Amino acid sequence: MSSAALLGQAAHAAHEVPAATTWLFTGLLVALVVCLALEEKLHAKKSLIVACFAILALLLGTALHLLPFGPYRIGGHDVDLPVYVPAIDWGVITIILGSSLFIDVTSRSGLFTWIAVRLTKASGGDPRRLLWCYGLMTVLFSAVLNNVTAMILVGSLTGVSLDRLGRKDHLLGFLLVEGLLTNVGGLLTLISSVPNIIVGTAAGISFLDFFVKAAPFVVAATWGTILVGARTFDVRPLAGDAERQEALAMVAAFDETDGIESPGFFRLSTALLAAFILVIATTSVLPWVSDLGMGFVAMLFGTVALLRFKHEVDRFYQGVDWDLLAFFAGLFAFIHVLEQARVLAMIGHGIEAVIGLGETAGGAALLLSSAGFSSVTDNIPLSAMLARILAGIPAAGGGVRGPDDPMWWSVVFGANLGGNLTPIGSASTLVAVTLIHRYRIPLGFGAFIRKALPFAGFQLALAVVYVLLFL
Amino acid sequence: MTKVDQFESLFRSAAKQPYRHRRPRIARVLVVTDLEGDEARGFLATVRAMLAVLEPDAASPERPTWTLVEGHEFATERALLDLVEAHRPDLCVTYRHLHSEGWRWHFSLGEHLDVLVNATTTPVLVLPHPRAGAAAGHAMQDTNRVLVVTDHLTGDDLLVGWGAALTLTGGTLVLGHVEDARTFARYLEAISKIPSIDTENARERLAERLLKEPRDYIESCVEGLRAARPDLRVLPEVRFGRMLADYERRVAELEVDLVVFPARDEDQVAMHGLSYPLAVDLRQVPLLLL
Repeated sequence: MSSAALLGQAAHAAHEVPAATTWLFTGLLVALVVCLALEEKLHAKKSLIVACFAILALLLGTALHLLPFGPYRIGGHDVDLPVYVPAIDWGVITIILGSSLFIDVTSRSGLFTWIAVRLTKASGGDPRRLLWCYGLMTVLFSAVLNNVTAMILVGSLTGVSLDRLGRKDHLLGFLLVEGLLTNVGGLLTLISSVPNIIVGTAAGISFLDFFVKAAPFVVAATWGTILVGARTFDVRPLAGDAERQEALAMVAAFDETDGIESPGFFRLSTALLAAFILVIATTSVLPWVSDLGMGFVAMLFGTVALLRFKHEVDRFYQGVDWDLLAFFAGLFAFIHVLEQARVLAMIGHGIEAVIGLGETAGGAALLLSSAGFSSVTDNIPLSAMLARILAGIPAAGGGVRGPDDPMWWSVVFGANLGGNLTPIGSASTLVAVTLIHRYRIPLGFGAFIRKALPFAGFQLALAVVYVLLFL
Repeated sequence: MTKVDQFESLFRSAAKQPYRHRRPRIARVLVVTDLEGDEARGFLATVRAMLAVLEPDAASPERPTWTLVEGHEFATERALLDLVEAHRPDLCVTYRHLHSEGWRWHFSLGEHLDVLVNATTTPVLVLPHPRAGAAAGHAMQDTNRVLVVTDHLTGDDLLVGWGAALTLTGGTLVLGHVEDARTFARYLEAISKIPSIDTENARERLAERLLKEPRDYIESCVEGLRAARPDLRVLPEVRFGRMLADYERRVAELEVDLVVFPARDEDQVAMHGLSYPLAVDLRQVPLLLL
């Protein structure tokens, strides 16, 4: 039984809320969005920002008698739980926690650096081929790891290898293309980005379905982005044999085995990663596992991986992004109060109007407006809110909106790709810009938008066409 | 952004410094002595016998030109430099305390050699003084066992190339790298007073890293020399220690015939690091100063 269902049981039968109350909480939502956009200026972590708003919302919601307090009925028994506990989507939290632990442990095996160095060598040191290799690697890593880690990994390798090759003049082009590709790669699977997890879980899309539907777009967008990137930043192939030989010798000096401390653990990690992808891809059809869900699979593999470091697991617990997890917990609690205050219903009316434009215009408008909002604010609250709202709006035929409904995909594509419009649109593009500045390349807010706009425009246009024609 | 540093460190570590073998061209050898006549010619014969490795072979068919400079041909440092300038040798062979009785004391290389090493870029082979009788029993016979020494071996292809070029066919080339234990201890003492750095972890990781790079480089030298000089036996000598004392001991233990080390330093007029004390102390075996 989902958290939402539990809350539904306890929800007030007739849920009348004065308009002033709804507007009060709408004001809180706007204030939260503004604070999150100004996170850097406030010098406050987003988990703390959202926690403050969640506490305020819970207090106000209680004072105004908006919240559906328990007990909640679980397995035929009444269970007393604080109202903010079932408000949290524990499926999303466990997927993120389990896969973070799993990836952190397996990355200690040297597996990802091995892949990165092998691809560097495969390029032969030719800048054009290197851009293709690093572009594909960014997409692949963004699909498996979180986008920020993928960007840090590929970006730092880019800095080291271009320095070694004497091609630091290409740094801006490489890092920008990689930053923009993290959000494309983040579309590949259901667990590649947080909006995918939130929307996919709400829509009931299986891992395999998600992959099959998203992969063609990811391939086309990657190909187009790298091609445009090579032309825009004048990344040319090496001309002569002497240049090629010299570059080949330079990349041949990279040792892919340097980061592998234990060959046995390296092999185990490779096997575990393959098994993780296989099991998570088939979760919806595996007996028992399908009932336990993807969060269970992620936690299972995280735990199995930790067995390798059983006497020092606390080191890995310290490495978990608690800021992100606390952010989710607070956000879900906050959104739950907004739901009770009918704020989501009010926004839902607006979205209904957008969807009412028709399948074509409505889908395109939803995708582009999601991208627009995502470009200036965090795409996680956006997708969490839109997922909750979309789930509450009946489908065209009047029934429940099923996993095949293209509107889910409009939100997924818009929320992910919108991050490419501005440097603050997503955490991974922000990392790309930070890396660019770290290498002392000047790139301001406006300059980023000017350089990224052709890429983001191409990706969004392709996404609109793809969602409307193929999904 | 600490993870950027972590990943950059990983990739920097993976980016090895490979050895690229380039055999130095030794077409002109200038032998400088303060001796005259038969004595000087006898010295030249000894040098040529010791450097039999320079005789033409299949790998290097070029016979070097040997030029002998006798004592009367120069008196001042300027005159010596002019001679070197005129002959433009690829290798200069001489000994310490030319035109001086300073060889009786062990405190310097002598004015001529000081100037020659610092004012020219020509590699200088410094032999034990012919009158001092300080040469080790095995020294001055051949170059069967050559020791390359430095405090920073990684990437010094020139040093290794010269070491290999002067090692006799079938001989042993020892590639040495000594990290100064006292400097390391001093840094660790400073680290032990910084609360945010785990001292034990720093000791372990830093020591491991400092020795790993020269070891990796020596592995790459072995690989590179396998094709160019398959007859050579290459041995690594990588450790912490007190550079001067350790090398003196190893020279005696291994009965080294020639010690090769860097002498010039782009950043200073004086000789590189420990090269001067090493050159002054190691009087019993030939030294190649690069």
